[in-house]
Amino acid sequence: MAEIKLENVVKNYGKLEVVHGINLDIAHNEFVVLVGPSGCGKSTTLRMIAGLEEITDGEISIGPQVVNELPPRKRNISMVFQNYALYPHMSVRENLGFGLKIAKQSDAMVEERVGEAAEILGLQELLDRTPAELSGGQRQRVAMGRAIVRHPEAFLFDEPLSNLDAKLRVQMRTEIKKLHQKVKTTVVYVTHDQVEAMTLADRIVVMKDGWIEQVGTPMEVFNHPVNTFVASFIGSPPMNLIPATVEGAEIVFADTTRLPVPARLESHISDGQKVILGLRPDDLTPEGHGIIESGQKASMQLTVDLAELLGTETILYTQINGQEVLGKMFDPREVEPGESMSFNISLDKVHLFDAETQKSVRLG
Amino acid sequence: MSRINKSIPFWRREQFTPFLLLMPAILILLLVVLLPLLFSLYTSFTGYRLIRPDSLYNWVGFRNYERIFTNANFWYAFGRTVLFLTIALNLEFLFGLGIALLINKITWGQRTLRTIMMFPMMFSPILVGYQFKFIFNDNIGILNNALQALGLSDGAIPWLVDKQLAMFSIIFAEVWMSTSIFAILLLAGLFAMPRDPLEAAKVDGCNPWQVFRHITLPFLMPFAFIAMTIRSLDVARAYDIVDVMTGGGPAGRTELLWTLIARVGYDNSRMGQANAMAYVSILLSIAFTYYFFRKLIAARRYMGGAD
Amino acid sequence: MDTKLKKRIGKIVSWLLTFLLMLVICIPGLWVVLTGFRPNREVLAKPAIWIPEELTLNNFAQIFGFGAEQIAIPVPAYFTNSLIIALTSTAIALLVGMSGGYAFARFRFKYKDTLFLGLMLSRTVPGIALSLPVFMIWSRIGLIDTKPGLIIVYVALNVPFTIWLIDGFFRQIPKEMSEAAQVDGCTRWQAFWKIEFPLAKSGIASAGIFAFLTSWNEYALASQLTRSTDSKTLPVGLMDFTAQFTIDWAGMSAMAVIIIIPALILTFIVQKHLISGLTFGGVKG
Repeated sequence: MAEIKLENVVKNYGKLEVVHGINLDIAHNEFVVLVGPSGCGKSTTLRMIAGLEEITDGEISIGPQVVNELPPRKRNISMVFQNYALYPHMSVRENLGFGLKIAKQSDAMVEERVGEAAEILGLQELLDRTPAELSGGQRQRVAMGRAIVRHPEAFLFDEPLSNLDAKLRVQMRTEIKKLHQKVKTTVVYVTHDQVEAMTLADRIVVMKDGWIEQVGTPMEVFNHPVNTFVASFIGSPPMNLIPATVEGAEIVFADTTRLPVPARLESHISDGQKVILGLRPDDLTPEGHGIIESGQKASMQLTVDLAELLGTETILYTQINGQEVLGKMFDPREVEPGESMSFNISLDKVHLFDAETQKSVRLG
Repeated sequence: MSRINKSIPFWRREQFTPFLLLMPAILILLLVVLLPLLFSLYTSFTGYRLIRPDSLYNWVGFRNYERIFTNANFWYAFGRTVLFLTIALNLEFLFGLGIALLINKITWGQRTLRTIMMFPMMFSPILVGYQFKFIFNDNIGILNNALQALGLSDGAIPWLVDKQLAMFSIIFAEVWMSTSIFAILLLAGLFAMPRDPLEAAKVDGCNPWQVFRHITLPFLMPFAFIAMTIRSLDVARAYDIVDVMTGGGPAGRTELLWTLIARVGYDNSRMGQANAMAYVSILLSIAFTYYFFRKLIAARRYMGGAD
Repeated sequence: MDTKLKKRIGKIVSWLLTFLLMLVICIPGLWVVLTGFRPNREVLAKPAIWIPEELTLNNFAQIFGFGAEQIAIPVPAYFTNSLIIALTSTAIALLVGMSGGYAFARFRFKYKDTLFLGLMLSRTVPGIALSLPVFMIWSRIGLIDTKPGLIIVYVALNVPFTIWLIDGFFRQIPKEMSEAAQVDGCTRWQAFWKIEFPLAKSGIASAGIFAFLTSWNEYALASQLTRSTDSKTLPVGLMDFTAQFTIDWAGMSAMAVIIIIPALILTFIVQKHLISGLTFGGVKG
C-alpha cells in the first residue's frame, strides 16, 4: 500500500511526444481513474507506472522509492489487462498462484493466498478449469484474483471492462468497487467510459492529447469543469455548448435570443466578451418537469424536434441559435414532434467558458 | 537523450534488444550469403578458372558479362527459364485455385484430402525429378507402358528426349511438386473468408460467377501472393528436378539458367563466367520475390490488415 | 426437380475431379514405393508386368549392405550424414530463428521492414548460384566435404523462413501475456520461457520440422559441397545410381523410399500448424 507520484513525466515514441510532462499525486489507498478519449495518453501513463513502457523524462515513485529504472517485477504492483491476459496453458489455480511461485513462496503460502483470493471473488468452484472454459465475467474475476494474491502496493487496471457486454459491465463495476472496499489498496484505473469513471473514482483525472485537463472528485469534475473539453466529456448526454456574446447584463446568441447573466458569474466576465454557454440537458427542462425548480431561472419558448423516451425521463431535441440542443423532461408526458414548449433554464447551473481559451470564466 | 538512458549500458537498452536478438541471424547470413556473394561479384570480373588458382587475380572487367550477353545459348537458357517460371507459376496458381475450390466444397474427408495434398510439397525435388524420370522413361516408364497397354500408342514416346515433350515433362514435374502450396494457402483463405460479404453480394443480385469474381477472388489474392512469395523464394529448386530428369539435355534443349551455371562453373570450371551468370539468376530471383512481396503488401493494405 | 438433379450432377462431378486429383498426386509416389519392393527384372520386363508377382525386401537389404549382392553405394553412411546434418542444422536454425522471430514479433525498431525484406531476399539466392562462391571459399578454408561445412550453409538457408514462421506464431500470442508475467514478477527471460515459449511450442516444432525437411531434401548445394562418404547426403547419393552404366531402378526406388518416409511422417504431424503459420505470418504481417 503506497502513494504514487508522477513528476513531469514525459513519453516519446521516436520524435512523437505522446505524454507531455504530467504531474499527479495519488494518495495511499485512493481509487484514481484516468479517463479520456482514445489516444489521450492514459494507457501509456498507466503502462509507465507499471514499468511496461520506459519513461522518457521525469520521475515516477511508488511509496518512497523512485521506480524509473525498475523493471515491472520489482515495482510490487499488479495489473489487470483489457483482454485479461490469462495464461491459457495454466488452470485458474496456477494462474492465480503464478506470481507467488515465481517469487519462490512456499506451497502452503501459495495455497493460502489463492484460497483467500478465490473466496473474495467467488472462484472456488472454478479453480481447476482452464481460461478457455470460463465465461467473460469469470475470466475478468480470475484476472482480478491474479492481481490480489500478491498483496501488491497498487492495482493497475487497463480498461478492464471494455470486453464485457453492457449488463455484465455494470455488474463487474460494482464488484470492482466492492473489491476496493474489501482489499484497501491504491488503485489506478484507466477507462474511456466516463460513467465508469464517475461511479468508481475517488478522484478523476481527465486527459486529452497527452495533457491532464482536470483532476478532481467526480462531483468537482461534473459540477465545475475547467474547460469545454471536460464539460462535454463528463456527463451523459453531454453538455450543450452554445457560442454567445456578453452584452451588459445579458448573454446574447447570434440569433439575438437573450439570457440574463447568472448572478454568481457576473464578476468573471466583461462586456463584449465572446463566451460559450454550457448547459447540461438536466438544467433545460420544460415548465413543470424539472427536478429543482427553485433558484435563479430563465425561460424560453422552444420547439421540440424529437423526443426520446427513456422511461423515467425523456430526452428532448430542440434548437437554440440554430444549433441542436438537448433538454430533459422528468416525470415525462407524451410529446409530439413540433410541439412548442416553455423551457426553464436553471441559471445557477449554467457554465460559461471563454470562447478563445475554452476555459471556464471562473478561472479568470 | 535523457538522464535515464545514460545509466544503462547501450546493449541493455530497450531499443537495442531487437538487434541483439537478430544478431545471430544477421551474422550467419552475412557469413554464408552476403560475404560469398561479394566474393562471387568480384570473381565475375576475373577470368577465374578452378584449375588455375592464380587466375583469380586476373581482372578482366566486364568481359564475362559481355561474353554471356552476346552468347546465344545464354539468352536461350534465360528465355527458357523465364518462360518456364511464367508457365509453371500460372499453372500452379490456376490448379491450386481449382483444387482449393473443389476441396472447399467437399465436406466428407476434407482433412484427409488436405493432408494428402501436402505430400508433394514435402518431397525432395530430387525425388520428384527421379520419380518422373522413372515415369516418363521411354522404355520402362509407367506412362508409356500404360499408353501401350491401352493401345493408344504403339511406339515408345521419347518424353525426355524430344524438345517440346522434355520441356513439358519438367514443367509437369514442377507443377506436380508445387501446386499444393497454392492449393493449401488458397484453401486457408477460403476458410478464413467471412460469410457476410458473400451473402450481401447474393442479396444484391450477383450470380455465382460475379460473386466469385468480385468478392471471393479479391479476398483470396493476398493468400495467392503469400504462396507466390514463398514459391519465388525457392524457384531455383527446379534445378534439382531438371538435373535429375534431363541434366539440361538432350543437347541443351531443357537447359535452364541454373543448369547452365552448373555446367559452366563446375564442368567447364570457368568460375568467373559462371559467377557472372549466377548474378543474372540472382537478380532474376530477387526481381520475382520483390514483385510478389510488394503485391502482397499492397493486397494486405487493401484488405485492411494490421500494421 | 431440375435444381435437385443439377446439384446431384455437380456433386458427382466434384467427386470425380477429386478422385482424379488424388490419383495424380498419389500414383507417382506409390509407383516408386511399389518399385522399391519389386525385383529389378520385373521392373524392366517387357511387356510390363502390372500386378507384382513378387514382393521383396532385397533392394533394401542390398542398399544397406546386408544383401547377397554388394552394391557400390554406401547408403548407410549417406543416411547417417543426412541425419546428422539435418538435425544439427535444424537445431541451430531454430535457436537463431526463435531469437530473430521474437525480435520481429515483439519489438518496434528502425529498419524493421528493410531488415525483414533483406532476410527474405537472402533466401531467394538460387542454391546453385550460391554454391559457386561458397565452394570457392570452403575449399580454401577446408570446409569442403565436411559435415560442419554443409551444416553452416543449411542454417543460413533455413534461418529466413524459420524467422518468418516463428514471427507469425509469436504474434498470435498477445503481448499482454508476457507483460502480465512481468508484472507478476518474471524477468523478460522468465516470461519468455514460462509463458510465451510454451504457448508457441507446437508452432516452433513445426517450423523445426520444416527446416529439417529443407535440409533433408536439399540437393543443389550438397551436390557441389560434398565429395565423399564423409559428408554426402542421401539426395546426392541417389544420383550415384545414375552414374552407373545401367540404372538400377529398383535399388534407386528403395533409396527413394528411405528419403520419402521421414518426409511423409513429418508432414503428417506438422500440417495443421504449418498452414496457420504461413497464413498468419503473411496476412497479418
